[in-house]
This record gives sequence, C-alpha cells and structure tokens, in this order.
Amino acid sequence: MGEKNIILSVKDLEVKFQVRERVLTAIRNISYDFEEGKVVAIVGESGSGKSVFTKTFTGMLEVNGTISKGEIWFEGKNLVEKTKDSEWEEIRGKKIAMVFQDPMSSLNPILTIGDQISEVIIKHRGLSKEEAKAEAISLMERVGIPNAANRYDEYPFQYSGGMRQRIVIAIALACRPRILICDEPTTALDVTIQAQIIRLIKELSAEFGFTTIYITHDLGVVANVADVVAVMYGGQIIEYGNVEEIFYDSRHPYTWGLLSSLPQLGTKGDDLFAIRGTPPSLFEEIKGDAFALRSQYAMQIDFEEEPPFFKVSDTHYAKTWLLDPRAPKVEQPEAIRGLHERLMASTSKGGGYSGK
Amino acid sequence: MKRYILVRLLKSIVSIFLVVSIVTLMLFTLIPRMNIFEKDGAYKKLNGDAKTSYVYTKLDELGYLDFVRQSEMCALASDVTACNNNDADQIAEVTKLYEEKGYNVKTMLNGTLYGYYDYKPFEILWNYFSKVIVVDNPDFVKNTYGVELENTGYYFGLDYNNIPALMCNGSQYKYQIYFDASFPFIHQNIIHFNFGKSYPTKAGMNTLDVIGFGQGELKSKDVTFETGQTFKSPVNLHTAKYKVSLDGLDSKKFNDNYADCDSYYQAPSMVNMSYLMGIISIIITYGLAIPAGILMSRKKDKLADKIGLVYINILNSIPSLAFIFFMRQIGLMIGLPASFPQLGYFDIRSYIMPILILGLMSTPSLMTWTRRYMLDQANSDYVKFAKAKGLSEKEVFNKHILKNAIIPIVNGIPASIILCISGAFITESAFSVPGMGKMLPDSIKLLNNNMVITLVFIFTTLSVLSVFAGDLLMTVVDPRIQLTSKKGE
Repeated sequence: MGEKNIILSVKDLEVKFQVRERVLTAIRNISYDFEEGKVVAIVGESGSGKSVFTKTFTGMLEVNGTISKGEIWFEGKNLVEKTKDSEWEEIRGKKIAMVFQDPMSSLNPILTIGDQISEVIIKHRGLSKEEAKAEAISLMERVGIPNAANRYDEYPFQYSGGMRQRIVIAIALACRPRILICDEPTTALDVTIQAQIIRLIKELSAEFGFTTIYITHDLGVVANVADVVAVMYGGQIIEYGNVEEIFYDSRHPYTWGLLSSLPQLGTKGDDLFAIRGTPPSLFEEIKGDAFALRSQYAMQIDFEEEPPFFKVSDTHYAKTWLLDPRAPKVEQPEAIRGLHERLMASTSKGGGYSGK
Repeated sequence: MKRYILVRLLKSIVSIFLVVSIVTLMLFTLIPRMNIFEKDGAYKKLNGDAKTSYVYTKLDELGYLDFVRQSEMCALASDVTACNNNDADQIAEVTKLYEEKGYNVKTMLNGTLYGYYDYKPFEILWNYFSKVIVVDNPDFVKNTYGVELENTGYYFGLDYNNIPALMCNGSQYKYQIYFDASFPFIHQNIIHFNFGKSYPTKAGMNTLDVIGFGQGELKSKDVTFETGQTFKSPVNLHTAKYKVSLDGLDSKKFNDNYADCDSYYQAPSMVNMSYLMGIISIIITYGLAIPAGILMSRKKDKLADKIGLVYINILNSIPSLAFIFFMRQIGLMIGLPASFPQLGYFDIRSYIMPILILGLMSTPSLMTWTRRYMLDQANSDYVKFAKAKGLSEKEVFNKHILKNAIIPIVNGIPASIILCISGAFITESAFSVPGMGKMLPDSIKLLNNNMVITLVFIFTTLSVLSVFAGDLLMTVVDPRIQLTSKKGE
C-alpha cells in the first residue's frame, strides 16, 4: 500500500468528563488516522464513546468534558490547542461539518429554512445576502428539495422529517467542508427515507469530495456506505479495517458479538443473539481488555494487561490477545460464518440489508 | 384567522357573562339582604315606618325586589280615591290583586299599605343585564324626561375648543364623539356601561364613576363657556349631559340645557392611580428580571448565577408583607414617606417605594422563568447544530437562543400590562395608596354588591382579553402558531 493521504490524525487521545465530583474517562487513548475521501464508519453500542470521539474534532465537547491528553492534527494544526470558541469558528461548519441524528430538532423552529442555510454561507464565505440566497437555493435543489425557490421562506415545521434532514445536509455542505461527520443521520427516519438520505450523502461526497465519518450502530448502514469500519468499545477503537474485512474476517470477540446480533441473522422463532452483560463503568480504571468480562473467549491475560493492536492485514488491525501467536486458535462463531451469503439471501426476502 | 378571532371573542363574551351571572346570583341570593344595611349610617338613625320605607326603597333601588306604596297600588283599584282613603273594601281588593301577582302586601304602623315582590334569581339577572349597556340616542330626553325638543338628531359641530366633534340634540350627552388631549385622544359618549349604583359607600354614585373619577380636590381653571363668559370652574365640558331645569348660574354659562358636566379633579382616579404605578413597576420588573435571567443562564453555575439564585430564593421565601415593611423601613431611612397620603399625589417621593416594591416583588419568578427558558433552548439540538455550523457564541445566542426563549415570555406580557389595572392589594394597603387594589376586598366586606359585580366584570374581561392578546402576540413571534378554528372543535 502506497502513501496514504491522511486528512485527520488522532494521536493518543484521552477525554475525561467531570460528573458530580467523579471523573469519567470516555475516550481512552485512541490513535487513528482518517484517510481523505474515504467513508469511515464508527460503530459501537451506546456509551462506547463514538459521539464524544467525533465531537473533539469540532471542539463541541460538553462544558464538563476536557481533552486530557493527545493530539488531533488537521491541516497542519493541532486542534487540541484550540480553546476559545472564536478559534474554532475557522474549523466548525467551514472545514468540518456535522449532521445530527434528529432532523426534527436540528433546525431552529422559528427561523425560515432559507435563513438557516444562508446564515452559514454569509458567515463563512462572506457572500452578500442575495448571493447567499441564490447559493442556498441551488444547494436546496442539489439535496433534492423540489420547488426550492418557493420553499426558501418556509419554516421547518412545514417540512417532513426526510426533507429536514436534506436541509441539515445542505447546511452542513454549504461551506464545502473537507470532513462531514454524520452522527446517526438516519436513526430518526423511516427505512425508505433512510435509504434516500444515505444515497444522497454518498452522491454528494463524490461530487463535493469530502471525507465522511459515520457514527452509527446500524450495521446495515455500515455495509451500505462505508469504505472503512472502526469498531469502538469502552472508549477505545478495538478493531478497524476495510468494510469487507470487518464483516467477513473480523477478529475481535466484540465485533463477533456485534455481527451476531444483526437482526437479519435471526431465525424465525429463535431468540435473537445478544451480547451478555453490560459495558464497563468508565468511572473506574479498566484493567486489561475492556470486553473481557463479557467475552466467552476471555483468557487470563485479558484481565491483566491491555492488548496491543495486532496487524491482520495492511488495513486491518484488531486489539485482542486472541491474535497473539501464543493464544489458542479460536474460530469465528458459527453465527457469522458465511455472513455475506446469508445477508444476500435475507435481502432477497426483503430484509434491511440493501445492496450497494 | 378571522373566524378564529370571532369564535374566540364569542366564547370570551359567553364566559364573562357566565362568571358575572354566577357572582351576581351569589351576591343577591346567598347573602342575607338585611346585612347590607349594617354599614349604613342613615339606616341606624331611622325608626318605625321611616325605616321600613327606607329599607324597601333601597332594596328596590338595588334590584332585590319591587316595592310598591299604597298610592301606586291604589292606582289599580276600582275606586282610587276611596282606596287612598283606606276604604276597607278597596284595600282588600288591591291586596288580593297584588297578592295574586306574587307580592307580599303589608301595612305599616300608621296603617298605610305597602307591598313588595321578591325577584326570582332569573329576574334579578335579567333586570341587571338588561340595564348594563346604555346606548345614547336622540330620543333620550323625550323618553326619559318627557320633554319634546326641536331639531333632535346628530350633527357635526365644533366643540368649545373649536375642534370638530359629533354632537347630538335630544340625547343624554351633547358630545357623542370628541377629541381631546388625554389618551386615547378620541372619546365617545354613545355607549355607556351601567353597573348600578354604589351602596353603602359613595351611595348614589355609579360604580364605574367611583373607580373612574378623579380624586381629591376639584381642579379649577378659567373656562370660557358657550355664552362667552369666563368663570373659574372645574367642569369638563365634553361630558355635558341634559339637565331638565337650569339654575341661574347654568343659564349664565350655557345656551342650551346641556349643562350637567363632570368635573376635573386634582388627583388621578383609582384606576389611573393603580395603572400608573403598575405600568412603571412592570417596566422595572421586565427591565431588571429579563437581563438578569439571561445573564444567569449564560453564566450558569458561575458567580453571577449564584448571586441571582440567592436573590430569587430570598425574595421567594420572605413573605411579601415582611418584604414591604422592610423596604418601607429602608425608605424611611432615606427620607421617603411611610405612607402615600403623607406627601400626597403631587410629590414624586410618594410613589417611589410602592412602585419599587411592586417592581421587585415580581422579579424572582420572571428571572426564574427567563433563566429556565434560556437554558432549555441552550441545550436544544438546533443550538448545538447552530454551533456546529461555526456561528460565534454571540450569533448563536442572538439568533437562536434568545428568539426562542422569549416566546413564552412574550405570551405573558399583555396580561401583566393589562392586569395592573386591578391594582396590588397588599402594597397599596401598606402605603394607603388610593388605588384599585383595595376596592374588591373593601366592597366585599361592605356588601357593596354592585361594586363587586362591576369589579368582577372588569377583572374577568381584562383577564380573558389579556390571555387572548397574549395568544395573538404569540402568532407574531412564533411562525408555528396559527390561530385557526377547525371544524368539529
């Protein structure tokens, strides 16, 4: 593999939150390089730190959260050094944009759609009001709002959920950002709209040439859009690799668990697979592998020492002692073997695994 | 929208009518009617037949019953003269006649006959409401005084200031629509409300005049009358009413019989008094509480917020009476009067403490709500999204947080402005301010029924209207709210 074009590089990042006199470590030493132009999906269960991780790229951590360690390199600058909101204005919305989960509440209910799009354009690109309006209308058309000129002066409540998410995307793209972070962009939408929005983001990323970071727990979406998948657990990335590698050749027991619990894999009448136990408390220091307590493959070492990343291929790494040469050889669980074929089969029956 | 407003107004009128009806019925039927004489000095001095006659005349006036004297009853007798001379047969005849109509017929100590008919609840209401709205008309003089005037009807003319006015001959008021320098500059005398007479305090005065007329000394100035003569007089010529018989002085001043005028007074009326204080105190409340609430929300958990919370908690926990007396004491220390009449209407120092207290007392709740609405908005998704768009904190605050947070506050503004008419009972009592606040409790205590009804009507109407006005105002600031009445509602 040749020189990778890294757009955003995270080094040894640690994020702590002050919660009622106690300290919670939400992100534990993540190092990760985002490649330009790729679609990266960050997956993991609730509380694994997916959102917090991406919030650090735009300085949007809640007031009680701080980056206690690490570096985030973007365009030759270390973003961690930015402390004031005014310093962030250069990045937020302009270079790195975000799309939030719930389009119903992402838009200000009492400002017109047009105002909300053009305010970004005026702010970041210094266009006049008229120019911004023309630009906003063309953006609205681009994201698929019919009759955009007339709908410019309407309010969010006059738009459907899918339409609103299109507007949110238009706002996010108004300044031609280099990175678009989509925080579960389709969770609040129904399935058909989900597919439309995902397709739209995909088309736009080709057209505008931005790098997309998806945060999701919907593996269907991941399979559909991602080039690269990073699996997060307990505030760490525990496995990452190309989408095929994660789906068909995953190595971490947590990734196995995650894939086994795909509802599409369930047989009618049987209980769906669920990962037993609960995620570790991030208030306490975690010793060894964070997933050890819930893993049926846990070894003695998992409770004593944190595993390093083991290389599976040039693009695929996993943070589990199972990959240590000394570990006993463990096969992928039955449930996810031949995943591709079975998913394809379920698709023909009308499942949610919509083909690319 | 128009339809909604219409329906809503209709509903408002019905609800006001219901409230006033219930209060009227309660006052007239649940309170023993003889109780109203307890505070009446004249009643105590009277004895025997004079007392009986006084009682029934008053009760008749107040709308409890219909009182008939012998002369009136005998008008129906077959031999009127004999009846008036206490002829036993004739008396028995009219007694029977009136008893059949439901009257109680009795004799006084001196043998004269009288009767009274207790109105049923429905009749009380009907009698009351049928008289509430009085519309002036060109036949008023003819119908009321039986005087035939020439050239009755409306005409445009100039008033005594040579300002055009719609005038009328034959009506009760000479000036039907006129302009002057006092708010709202255009005035009318066509429709008047009549809620009956005040009794036992300010007996004989219309209840609306009691609260609406100026107080204190008459305010005289040089007035040039229609006859060209100039006198020092307090009259307000625009209120000229028809007077049947003119005295010598009247004919020196007026060319016609419209010589009965209201007067100007030195001091403002009760309503104006309360309103003046109320409005200034509201400006203080909003002026202090909204910026303070905003500041607190922006500096949440910092020093400014903590100071604000301490202030709110202190003011909320101190009983208002204690706060008033505490402030009054501070006022005394810096040379402000302890009660309003000490320095009177014309000294600004009389007003400072009552207004300041009124203003401060409502700050805690408004601060709490402002802070809370601001925080609610600041934590909303679209504010986070606005921030993620790269807007500066100031832009996010002005464009996104403030506009949304202000909506529920805007809703309450009309109510606070309109309802200051009702006055503030505790503060006004503590400073002996002659305002509206004490009127309702006082009139309830004195069983001044008509006054109670008047006040209930005024307060109900204003409340209903101010809620309505608040809703209308909401449609201006919040595009999501549209007033429409759907079918099937």
